[in-house]
Amino acid sequence: MTQAKADRVVDARNMEPPEPFVHTMEALDAIQPGQKVLLLVGREPFPLYRALELNGFEWQAEHAPDGTVEVLMWHKPK
Amino acid sequence: MQALLSYDQSPPIAAPFRFFLTAPVFGILAGVLLLWSGADLFASRWTPEALALTHLITVGFMLQVMFGAMLQILPVVAGANMARPLWVSGVVHAAITLGTLFLVLAFLSFLPYWFTAAAVFLGAGVAVFIAAAAYALSGIPATSPTIGGLKLSLLGLAVTIGLGVALSLSFGASLNLPLLQLANIHLGWGFVAWGTVLLAAVGYVVVPMFQLTPAYPDWFGRGFSISALAIVLIWTIADFAAPDSVSMFSSLAVVAVAALFAGITLNIQWRSKRARFDATQHLWRVAMCSALAACAVWLLAMAVPALGEWPGWPLLCGVLLLFGGFVSVIVGMLYKIVPFLIWLHLQNQGQGRVMAPNMKKIIAEQAMNCQMLAHFVSCALLLLAVFWPEWFVYPAGLALIVAHGGLLLNLLAAMSVYRAHQQKIAAVIAAQSSQPHP
Repeated sequence: MTQAKADRVVDARNMEPPEPFVHTMEALDAIQPGQKVLLLVGREPFPLYRALELNGFEWQAEHAPDGTVEVLMWHKPK
Repeated sequence: MQALLSYDQSPPIAAPFRFFLTAPVFGILAGVLLLWSGADLFASRWTPEALALTHLITVGFMLQVMFGAMLQILPVVAGANMARPLWVSGVVHAAITLGTLFLVLAFLSFLPYWFTAAAVFLGAGVAVFIAAAAYALSGIPATSPTIGGLKLSLLGLAVTIGLGVALSLSFGASLNLPLLQLANIHLGWGFVAWGTVLLAAVGYVVVPMFQLTPAYPDWFGRGFSISALAIVLIWTIADFAAPDSVSMFSSLAVVAVAALFAGITLNIQWRSKRARFDATQHLWRVAMCSALAACAVWLLAMAVPALGEWPGWPLLCGVLLLFGGFVSVIVGMLYKIVPFLIWLHLQNQGQGRVMAPNMKKIIAEQAMNCQMLAHFVSCALLLLAVFWPEWFVYPAGLALIVAHGGLLLNLLAAMSVYRAHQQKIAAVIAAQSSQPHP
């Protein structure tokens, strides 16, 4: 997954909870259908997945070799 | 952010909080016990008062917080949701709270029926928790060391409680068991296979997350839990079946497991990106240093016969490990978990219309720092009481009451922030829904 695919990037690797969640939500709130947000975080964000599911977003997560989890998120097509 | 922040699978806040709020009450009772028993408690690790004090902390304080935290951690870090969390937490909380009180009464009175009652209540409460947690974790692949570690820690807990129930029943029903040997194995499983494995599994996620440290090394994540459990198992078998030298070597390996976790945690904490340590980081650092000191005392007692013959050395180890180690780390965790949970629930309830308060304002920093200092003073006084019980047992008892009373007040203050904010949310939502639609 490259950062080039995303319209907004939230690098949460040096943030303390709940900042990663808050910044991701703010970013998702700002994008239009068709745009994407990329979150870089140090662990699998399970609570975020549930929030995405309940709020009409799709996502794709990949584990980078350095332990970073990269989550690409976008509006579910209607 | 209208409806974005709603997700409904987190267990209700009452489920973990009933455990968190009960734990400091047992800490206060531990202080009261010190005042009541006086210096006699420190005559040896086997005095009824020392056994009661140990279990007020391990079962009364530690187990309560461990269960409360696990209820919350399973869905957040493992994506494993416990079915009927309010029912499970209600039953388990009632059973282990009563069971702990019965166990303390049993040690202080040595009446068989209290031991039987303690075995039944603690055995049943822990069994329900293990069954519910194992069921929640059963379909979850071990994609991270935390998930595997949580599963293995439940095995460690099962053996610890099984041995504890057997020991209790042997007093209640006069079974013919090798009590001293089983008691040592019970505490080895409790401290290492349950306590340290759980702490490592949770710490693997929460230390880097909340303390902004580098990750634990890969090899540690891959191998620690399973190796710790295997070493404790080998030690158990060796203790029954092997010559003394093999048994001694394997017990050394068990102590090394705890020291390894403490050493690695200190090492990554050293490299934290945060410039100024907060209460949680100080508490973790003292905890890890205290655990290393306990391991050093154990080694010295094995190596130096004069020290090994002193009945105070196991008490010294116990105070370092329990109060300096586990209690410190647990208080440090509570100061992150509790504000985080309150934030999470309020954010969820606010439905994007009322924002949750800043997480850092839920428990005042100064209140946490004061309580932390009171806790460190209580640890120091307990250590001094091991050497000079007549002088220090009463100050240590009072300090324990102050430290755990302070913890309880801080947690209650967090709950009152939660309640006040809930009312604000209810008022805003009621006002909005009563407005006529255009």
